[in-house]
Amino acid sequence: MTSSDSTYRQYAIEEYTIDYEPFYVPVKDEVELFLSAYAQKIPVLLKGPTGCGKTRFVEYMAFKLGRPLGAVTKANKNGEHGRALITVACHEDLTASDLVGRYLLEGDSTRWIDGPLTRAVKVGAVCYLDEIVEARKDTTVLIHPLTDHRRILPIEKLGQIVEARDGFLLVISYNPGYQSALKDLKHSTRQRFMAIEFNYPTRDLETNIIAHEAGVSDAVAADLAKLGEKVRHLKEHGLAEGVSTRLLIYAGRLIHEGIPARRACQVSVVWALTDDGDVQRSIEEVVTSIFE
Amino acid sequence: MSSSERAKILAKYEKLLTPYSTSLVAEFHRSASAIADLVSDQELSQWAEEGLDLARQSWRSWEAAGEYFRATPQMLPMLGLERYRRWARYGRELAELSSALAASYFRTSSKTVPAATFERLGDLVELGRLLYKGTWRSASLAVQFFDSSPQLFAEMSIDDVRVLVRFVDALCDRSYDLASHCLSIAPHVLKPLGDEDRSTFLQFAESLAATGWADARSYLEKGPALLAHVQQKQRVRFLELASELSRREGRQAFGFFSDAARALSTIDPDSHGLLLSLSEELVERSPIAAMEFLKTAATIVERIPLDTIADWHDEGSRLLDASIDGGEAYFRLESSRGEDMLESLSSRLDLSRVSDILRMYGKALTGCEVAVHSSEALAEKGIGWVETESPSTEGTAIFLPPWIEEYSDKERNFTVYKVYCTHQAGHLEFGTFEFEFETEGAIFTNRRNEFAEARRAAAPPAPAQAEATDTEAADILEADEQPTEHVPITDMERFFDILPDRKLASDLFAIAEDARIDLLIDREYAGIRRSYTDRQTIELAKRPSIDKLPLKQAFVENLVRVSLGGYDTMLWPEALHPIMHEAIGVIEMLRQPQANVEDAAEATLRLYELATGIPNIAPEIMEDWEEFDSDSLQSLPMSADSLGNSDIDMPQGEQMPYESPSPVDFRGDFKPETVQMLMKLRKQSQEEGPVSPISPEQLKQMLEKSVEISIDDMAEANLTQSSDLFLTNLIKELNQQAQDKDDKKPAPLKDGQPVTGDSTGDDERELPPEPKYFFYDEWDFRAGDYRPRWCRVVESAIADGAPQYFEQTLSKYSSLVHETQRQFELLRPEMFRKIKRLLDGDEIDFDAVTDYAVERRSGHTPTDKVYYRRNKVERDVAVTFLLDMSASTDEEIAKHEKRYQQDDFDDDPRRYFSWWMARRAQELLTPPKRIIDLEKESIVLLIKALETIGDRYGIYGFSGYGRDNVEFYVIKDLEEVLSDKVKGRIDKIAPVRSTRMGPAIRHAIYKLDQQDAKVRILFLVSDGRPQDHGYGRDRTEKEYAIHDTHMALLEAKRKGMVPFCLTVDRYGHDYLKQMCADIGYEVVPDIESLPSRITTLYRQLTT
Repeated sequence: MTSSDSTYRQYAIEEYTIDYEPFYVPVKDEVELFLSAYAQKIPVLLKGPTGCGKTRFVEYMAFKLGRPLGAVTKANKNGEHGRALITVACHEDLTASDLVGRYLLEGDSTRWIDGPLTRAVKVGAVCYLDEIVEARKDTTVLIHPLTDHRRILPIEKLGQIVEARDGFLLVISYNPGYQSALKDLKHSTRQRFMAIEFNYPTRDLETNIIAHEAGVSDAVAADLAKLGEKVRHLKEHGLAEGVSTRLLIYAGRLIHEGIPARRACQVSVVWALTDDGDVQRSIEEVVTSIFE
Repeated sequence: MSSSERAKILAKYEKLLTPYSTSLVAEFHRSASAIADLVSDQELSQWAEEGLDLARQSWRSWEAAGEYFRATPQMLPMLGLERYRRWARYGRELAELSSALAASYFRTSSKTVPAATFERLGDLVELGRLLYKGTWRSASLAVQFFDSSPQLFAEMSIDDVRVLVRFVDALCDRSYDLASHCLSIAPHVLKPLGDEDRSTFLQFAESLAATGWADARSYLEKGPALLAHVQQKQRVRFLELASELSRREGRQAFGFFSDAARALSTIDPDSHGLLLSLSEELVERSPIAAMEFLKTAATIVERIPLDTIADWHDEGSRLLDASIDGGEAYFRLESSRGEDMLESLSSRLDLSRVSDILRMYGKALTGCEVAVHSSEALAEKGIGWVETESPSTEGTAIFLPPWIEEYSDKERNFTVYKVYCTHQAGHLEFGTFEFEFETEGAIFTNRRNEFAEARRAAAPPAPAQAEATDTEAADILEADEQPTEHVPITDMERFFDILPDRKLASDLFAIAEDARIDLLIDREYAGIRRSYTDRQTIELAKRPSIDKLPLKQAFVENLVRVSLGGYDTMLWPEALHPIMHEAIGVIEMLRQPQANVEDAAEATLRLYELATGIPNIAPEIMEDWEEFDSDSLQSLPMSADSLGNSDIDMPQGEQMPYESPSPVDFRGDFKPETVQMLMKLRKQSQEEGPVSPISPEQLKQMLEKSVEISIDDMAEANLTQSSDLFLTNLIKELNQQAQDKDDKKPAPLKDGQPVTGDSTGDDERELPPEPKYFFYDEWDFRAGDYRPRWCRVVESAIADGAPQYFEQTLSKYSSLVHETQRQFELLRPEMFRKIKRLLDGDEIDFDAVTDYAVERRSGHTPTDKVYYRRNKVERDVAVTFLLDMSASTDEEIAKHEKRYQQDDFDDDPRRYFSWWMARRAQELLTPPKRIIDLEKESIVLLIKALETIGDRYGIYGFSGYGRDNVEFYVIKDLEEVLSDKVKGRIDKIAPVRSTRMGPAIRHAIYKLDQQDAKVRILFLVSDGRPQDHGYGRDRTEKEYAIHDTHMALLEAKRKGMVPFCLTVDRYGHDYLKQMCADIGYEVVPDIESLPSRITTLYRQLTT
């Protein structure tokens, strides 16, 4: 259901696939781990600070796992295609029906529509629940039957049970850092996943990533990575979270566009990170130390 | 004229005078013969007659007559007969008042008249008469006046004396002793003053006598010295200003005079005029402001440049127009606006303003926990650092000068701080203190062992062998005293041990390492490069001239310059250029990114080798001092080991002792050896188990050896004592840090303090935690501004008591406990509330759907909002209870009610007695209840209830006395869990002193503000109005305290908290209305109901 000739493209949620290999630099053995988990149908929990590449990793894996899937697939010009990836960003009002589906009023009658999780189960896609702890606890319980040997999704309102198709994989992510103790993942939930821990890449690796993603010179990328490292030292000392690779890339892109480096860092790192005047000033001093 | 005639006259008068006193006759006789040639017989007899008249005047007036006769031989020739008579007449007139006066007048005349001139004599006598009031005290004062008049007139004009006399006269009304004292010191103290000053000085004295007579003496004694502080030309104005103030403000005038004079003493005299005119400008509107302006001028001038002081003044002057109180507070430096103004006018950058930023900056750079403190703090610790103004680090903290005022704007002063901080952080970031003896350098080959070998070979053989022949006893004794071979504590120490000249080695290492650090910073932090180079240029300009230094020092100095990049400033004898080239080459080698601290050490060895070859001879011996041309610097010997240039002929001459190069300011105090030792000690004290314990002896040995700590700098005692002191400080410092660690981690440290054996370490551990200090502003409603950092809140935990109290109270109120608990359980969190009428939701609301269908059928446009959702309402409450622990809570509650009953007994003493006995027995059994007891019981009930619903709560008490000592007691901190300790503390809640509510509320706000909760409540329980020493203009004023408290409560409200006041003061309504305008409050009329009321209120507040 694509309309490639129009100015935008839209897909049915379960038909969206990653067709070009996303740029991802493996840090350790996370790719092998994920592939093995997929083969063994073990749900995966990705832990790590924001902007360190969790989502990119899932996209990358979805692409790697791609294979013909009948109607759902389409190919890029190399004949490659990714696995369908359904991403749900969780928020505190996310209810069970947001995931599973609900009745809608239509004329005098009602109509059932599947939620994203149900669709993923049905087509055997990778379902990625981003920031799972943000969701209400009663919602998270819903995924339990999907994550053990049963691999089923009960749809209470329809009185149905949907078996997960082969290829379905549940991936959730959460950031142990900034959520308060109140928003911890329940043990009954977390003990259903294998966990891959992510962290910010090393300075050299991050230099590569920034250079690639932002299209800046290696020297600038190295300076940005250096800035990243320095700012992350401030975590828990004025900063709840270190600066994400994503922000550093934004800074790089701005520099690439011709914004002076100090200004670019100010808008994409300093101001983005914190509202606290003193902390801002401190980071700015680091910026002005590193960039001319 | 015949001698017989004369003899007759004399005989006659001698006879007449005889009855009075024989001495009078003798005096008469002597005088008469002295003036015999000057007077005729008639005149003589007239003269004698006058004397006789005097003697006759009153029963002791013969004394005056005696003085009269005695003075004659001098006075008569001096004055001539005509004037002499007048002189005598003055005396007689005085004698009519008091013979003592006259006697004194005659006695001193011979000196007074030349000093005061004869024309002024009448005035003088007049002044003397002025002082005489007919009493003996006034007479003696007047006598004193005449006695001292020669001195007085020697110094002053008659006008001045007149003022002085008026001043003394004014004092007489108060105290003759004081007046007499002032008169007696007057000639002496007034002497140093110039003529013009003196009269103004005296005029001020006169006005002072009228208003603040008690200060007169101090003024007279100290005044001239104080006045000397003021610029000569301005003294008159200054005194006039002071007089003006004394007229307007009375008693404070002398205080102003002395304070202002002292303040002016520190200020450039040329600006005194300006300051005075600014002050004069204020007098009209507020004398106090004028006064304060001058008094604080010294502080102001220290903070802001002199040319901006008019701006400072104008701002205050504007404030003064708006509100006198506000302006006065401004000039008293007691207002936030004043602080802000100073801050904006000042270019000085105080470390305290930027230390947070620098701390985080340092933390970002190094990745370790770096504190930023003032260098003064480091010097105070007494652990080896003595400089109070240079930057340094001791491994965990960066120390910076307390302020920087190098440039005229704050921005640039900050860059100075930043460079300082970056360099020190560089030491931490690039591993200066991680030097390891065994680690290889990245550039140089390892020659450390070679040097160590050489050192060992050169060392003298152990003396133990030589004394082997001694007796056994001596042997044992010897063995005890013989120090065991010193094992270096740190790698740095070990490194320095291999070089004989430790001072030279240490200097060279500092140069090499600083050069390395500077290069790394230059590479890593391009942004700071420019300010860094600026600093280096400034430092280079400050270096001493090289050709004034002895040769070896010149060599080291050149190296310093190389390390600062000042190649073109080097100067070195041409014949020796190759050596310098080689040395520069070594430094240049270090300027490679891979160089590590071990390379700096290797470079040190090579430089050391070169330096020891250079004799430290006077610079005059060398003639061919030459600069280095840039070409020769291009081709430096850059291979790692090319040292072979030893065949240069060294000049000969007398060697001078080697001295270290002058310090480079931005690099500051560099003490790698001490830092390594500190770090090692720190590590050990953290790791609990002593790995290889360092004994104090070992430490001492190291310290005595090290050149980084010149122990005599620290204390001028003998070496052992001061090194002991040093050790004590060191251990204290380490314990302090260990304790800080303890605070963070609840797990307590074991007693096994590795360094100890020393008792100070253990003792400190057992001391109660140090109270913490906080400073808060206070609201001055008159000035309409905060007084900055006005109150000091001392936070400490309340002493532990018996936890049983808690349980006892609970059982006493068991029924109430059950009831409140039940009510609170109803508040249980995690309720689900249905939210209806949503466009989107969990479920379809059937009522809404029915409506929808009905409306549709009936042709209306139905609403789509037919869904509902369950929303979880989480209870997220943090509450702070603030208990009034003022002395008034000691009051018994039942007192009033009981008294009424007494009326029943009327006349029956027996009934009264039996009632009284019963009451006593009752009181003994159950002591009368006080307000504080009810507060305590209420708290117990509340805790019980709060534990049920799981709200976060903190309980604090407050009291204190004065603004410097607002006591804030922690009964239960917000984060603390309810424990026996907390329960014990409740037992110890007791009445203390006053009630300064404002700062206590502000501190509670500070605590509550750190809590992340949806609902934050500040609950104040008190028994009366706020009052404290100095909490208001005077003791009776209540307005100030109420306004400040109100402001504090408003601050809470602004922070999104809910303040609530509960008072048991039944007259509370009148002031609470004002104090808690817009804020919830309640007066509990029946004090006994406090426990139940407080829980009910709490429940209502949070739902």
